[in-house]
Amino acid sequence: MAFKSPQNTTASGARAKIDAARAQDRRRAARKRNMTIVASLVAAFAVIVAVFLAVDPGSGPDGDTLAAGESRYVRSDSHRLTTAADGKVTLVEFLDFECEACRGMYPLVESLRKEYEGRVTFVVRYFPLPGHFNAERAARAVEAAAQQDKFEIMYQRMYQTQTEWGEKRTPADEYFRGLAQGLGMDMAAWQKAYEDPATLARVKKDVADGQALGVQGTPTFYLNGTLVQVQMQDDLKKAIDAALAG
Amino acid sequence: MQRSPDDLTLSGDEQIAGEADRPFARSLPWLLLVGGLVGFAAAFTLTVEKIALLRDPDYVPTCSINPILSCGSVMRTPQAEVFGFPNPLIGVAAFAALAAIGAAMLAGARPRPWFWAGLQAGVTFGVVFVHWLIWQSLYVIGALCPYCMVVWVVTILLFWYVTLVNLGRTRAGRLLAEYHAVALTAWFLLIIGLITVRFWDYWSSLI
Repeated sequence: MAFKSPQNTTASGARAKIDAARAQDRRRAARKRNMTIVASLVAAFAVIVAVFLAVDPGSGPDGDTLAAGESRYVRSDSHRLTTAADGKVTLVEFLDFECEACRGMYPLVESLRKEYEGRVTFVVRYFPLPGHFNAERAARAVEAAAQQDKFEIMYQRMYQTQTEWGEKRTPADEYFRGLAQGLGMDMAAWQKAYEDPATLARVKKDVADGQALGVQGTPTFYLNGTLVQVQMQDDLKKAIDAALAG
Repeated sequence: MQRSPDDLTLSGDEQIAGEADRPFARSLPWLLLVGGLVGFAAAFTLTVEKIALLRDPDYVPTCSINPILSCGSVMRTPQAEVFGFPNPLIGVAAFAALAAIGAAMLAGARPRPWFWAGLQAGVTFGVVFVHWLIWQSLYVIGALCPYCMVVWVVTILLFWYVTLVNLGRTRAGRLLAEYHAVALTAWFLLIIGLITVRFWDYWSSLI
């Protein structure tokens, strides 16, 4: 196997030169071959991804396209407090659990949804404002509860306890955990959902819809896709009555 | 196939002298130095972020960009402390050592075979560990941590070229060296493909 020491050193020197040149050519050819295959691989990969993207554009959690029966106001996974039998009138509220104005509206919304039970669909969309330190946490806590079919009770608890945890600059994780525990939830599942990036993505999807609709603050109400200006306590009720009559 | 002088099989001290003939033997020290420094920077940053997170549980790490690219959620998991202490501590020590080895080789160090064997053992442990972390990140935690991904890339690169140098002029070594970039590309594309599929919903929502 081994290359035995050559007799003639000049011949071996010339030979070494030729071999070196050959080796260089080989390396060059190998590099070129490498680059060609690498480029083809990358191109093929890019084409496959592009094709899939073209076939399946934006079916994602905060996708821009809407599935059948969905709108920016109401998605298929949006939480409904009550559902109208005929589905003709829908009131959507973009809310922030840490916003005092939302808590101010809460008793009215509660009484309205009892009054119009079965006739008006009440939809809740998350819209935690960045200025509220625990608002996003609260939304995640409610969403985590929703995964155990406890959306409504957790939604109520948030407003009932807002003064306990709101307007503070410290994380309220433990407090929300306590709320969930008090409602007898499966705490392992709740905790997992609370920390799951998918839960946060679900909240942000609502926010994205709100932003696309031009929601500026909370609470913002849409009745059948029309912004309702709520100045007086009666405004909301009047708008609902008008929609039901019309 | 005709044999050329650089196909020579040598023994003993000659083998050490002939090391420069092994594929990538000359570029490996640079890779070790640069890769080691990059890996060190990533591991060091992760360590600093971990400390910040411990001091203030509400701290949002600099690499938490969106629900998928999120160090915070990854750093809080048990997988981030497999051996009972934060993983980046391993990286801080190991990458610093690799960079030093690269620098020593550039300065003329010609390690003995046992040293090469040790280096191989180290990068092999690293690459196995990194793939376990990739698996956990993708399928158990469901989030990606950008600094960790820097570590993935560097670890795979270092493993690959250390292995090629160690395989040297064996048949497998030559074949792999010939198509080193192809194999590496396929490897990375596989991981990128898994990431693309796993978080497809998210990526497709971005466009």
